[in-house]
Amino acid sequence: MSTNLALVDPAVVPSRAPRPDRQHRPELVEVTPTAAQRRARPRIGYAVVAVAALGILLLAQLGISMVLSQGAYTLNSLSAEQTNLSRTQQSLSEQLRVLDSPQNLARNAQSLGMIANSTPVYLDPKTGRVYGTPTPAKPDEATASTENQVPNSLLNDVPLATKPGDTSTSKETGTTSTTDTSGTSSTKDSSGATGTTGTTDSTATSEKTSGASASDQGTAKSSVESDANPLQAPSTR
Amino acid sequence: MTKTIRNRRLRYSIVMLAVIALVGVFVVRLVDIQVVQASELNKASAQKRSIPVTIYGTRGSIVDRNGTELADSVTRYNITTSPRLVKQFKGKLGGTRIKNVSVGTALSALAKASGGDVATMRKNIAANPKSDFAYLVKGLDVQHYEAVRALGIPWLYPEPQAARVYPTGATTGNLTGFMGTDGAQAGLEYSYNQCLAGTNGSETYERGEDGVQLPGSTVTTKKAKDGGTLETTIDSDLQYMAQQTIASAAKTLQAESATATVTSVKTGELLAVADYPTVDPNDVDATTDKGAFGSRALTASYEPGSTIKAAIAAALLDQGKSNPTDQAVVPYSRTFPWGGTIHDSEFHPTENLTLTGILQNSSNVGITELGARLTAQQRFDYMKKFGLFEPETAIDYPGQPSMDYGTSPNWDQQTNINSMFGQGISTTAVQVASVFQTIANDGVRIPLHFVKGCTTADGKTIDAPDVQKQRVVSAAAATQVTGMLQSVVTGGTLVGMKPISGYNIAAKTGTAEVAEGSQGYGGQRITSVAGMAPAEDPQYVVTVTFTKPQTNKWSSGAAPAFRTLMSQVLEKYRVAPSASEAKLYPSTW
Repeated sequence: MSTNLALVDPAVVPSRAPRPDRQHRPELVEVTPTAAQRRARPRIGYAVVAVAALGILLLAQLGISMVLSQGAYTLNSLSAEQTNLSRTQQSLSEQLRVLDSPQNLARNAQSLGMIANSTPVYLDPKTGRVYGTPTPAKPDEATASTENQVPNSLLNDVPLATKPGDTSTSKETGTTSTTDTSGTSSTKDSSGATGTTGTTDSTATSEKTSGASASDQGTAKSSVESDANPLQAPSTR
Repeated sequence: MTKTIRNRRLRYSIVMLAVIALVGVFVVRLVDIQVVQASELNKASAQKRSIPVTIYGTRGSIVDRNGTELADSVTRYNITTSPRLVKQFKGKLGGTRIKNVSVGTALSALAKASGGDVATMRKNIAANPKSDFAYLVKGLDVQHYEAVRALGIPWLYPEPQAARVYPTGATTGNLTGFMGTDGAQAGLEYSYNQCLAGTNGSETYERGEDGVQLPGSTVTTKKAKDGGTLETTIDSDLQYMAQQTIASAAKTLQAESATATVTSVKTGELLAVADYPTVDPNDVDATTDKGAFGSRALTASYEPGSTIKAAIAAALLDQGKSNPTDQAVVPYSRTFPWGGTIHDSEFHPTENLTLTGILQNSSNVGITELGARLTAQQRFDYMKKFGLFEPETAIDYPGQPSMDYGTSPNWDQQTNINSMFGQGISTTAVQVASVFQTIANDGVRIPLHFVKGCTTADGKTIDAPDVQKQRVVSAAAATQVTGMLQSVVTGGTLVGMKPISGYNIAAKTGTAEVAEGSQGYGGQRITSVAGMAPAEDPQYVVTVTFTKPQTNKWSSGAAPAFRTLMSQVLEKYRVAPSASEAKLYPSTW
């Protein structure tokens, strides 16, 4: 590095002055920079670093804005997807709440042939004492067994669950139920089948759940398992 | 030589002046643009670049005590079009091949997908063919809207719209009320509108040529605020049972209207407030009876009849003026010096009845004999403490009677007598329930209420009702009245009601005559039963009321509905049955 600068080369030094005598030629003076001078000199490395840094900065800037705008597109498509999904979620939860309404549960229970018992009876598992007089339910006794009196126009297009063994889906329009008489007769028909599945199931579940309610859950469960159809969410609406 | 120099200087000066003048013009223009017109220009540029969006604040939902939604906000879509642009186009129309689609085909496909009507659409388009806006179908739910979108008809524009659904339908329609096109119309929607309503916000963003939002360009100018959630104490399942029960019974009785209430004794919470007929808030137009838009249980005042005798008996016992075995000689009728006559509902020979017997047989003559031991002012004050003659303090519901009675009874001689058996005074069904809640809760009245409060979006609960307890009669008096009311069920006016096996029930019947305006009392009645169970430690109060029943004008007609509802309440809340048979006071001597 030190060779390229500030060296006085006697061969190339022009001299306008009359040449001195060969004999009186003075000794050559070597001019060398001091350490401080050398340090102060600009160096190519710095330039390279600076230019490279600038380049990297520009590239990074470009990259970031590319990523950002790519992100904008991703965001756009994701938010469109989110809108779609939340629409689906809204419509499904709306459907669920309608299916969940007491009217729907009651009329479905009726169409499956269930009747309410208006005489509550309890068994105290600690003492074995029975409170109340167990009485079989009669269809004409409890108002819960009469057809729905409480209108809900949201249920107009919701089909009723089918009875076990029944493949057709009955539709109910408005608040009128058309299943009163057929409900009781077909319960009798299918009672045998339901009974057997009920008992097999209750033994299975009583292993998991102990206590007096095991058989209850068993029968409730069996109707679900024996025929998945009745509790399937209606596909229309 | 000097002349040239001067010339040169002059030229320089002129150029300099020109430059300065030019710079001056620029500066002035700069200040004008940057400072003077800055805000206007900024606004204009923002308008050109940015797209404003309304952020909708959702109206809050109304929920029951278990969080089941009784009223909820959903988005519905109106399909609009620009009649100017309605014409044949090339598209798939939901199919697989691109084809030419005529307007007629497109409209009928739209009608099929949305459930709309082609004729109406054609009419709306034809109404103003040059215009840029017309409705085709209104109020599509998400599924129908998606189906319409899938058609890909280019000249259809969706318009989202907030709508209200009531998943339980008419079950709680009498309480929630409903929304009309001009906002809340009735019920809780109306009285709690301020908390329920959301506030719309707005924001703007800038978008590129392809419609994609520019990053970091979103500016929220106003934050949207969702409405609060109104929590009620209603149990929607029980409410359904109550609605179903009174509707069935009212149809059998051919009654004009009916109400039922279920109250939790220890908290004063109404678990069910049922009305027949009632409105389905999802389909308000189906209800023609305007009176059914609200809740008659809360708003209709009527003469309660004999259920009030329980309050008179409690007042007598609290003042020490009587006791359950107090002896009275009770004839069938009684004539007063001013010429007025009262008589019992059914003829009977003169009887020796105790106070228990008077309540058991609901003797008007008997209760007036004993009730006269209290002054009119005393009885009025007791009734007022029981919550009568005053608007419900803890219920905020539109259309409640004002109950402007003042502080003294202001009764004429006959009304003074009649008020003891609930004629000549007016109450609402909920007020009668409140009287029985007080008796059932050992004489402590908790103002009945069915709203817990409204929880705003930031989690604060506002609008909670003021439910300060107040002792009305002594615990001993209340317990004795409950004891006496058991005789009504076992041997009195409710003897025909099938007992609810395992439970001791205390109840009082009422068969009130209905005043028909100026013509006095006609043949119409309001029959009711109010009662509590289990009698040893009452948990729930149930009341049922039937207005103008035709097939059975006696309180025995109301009894089956009371029984059904009470047994459902006891079963639903797993109330422990009574441990022993009821101990009854003697009714005769």
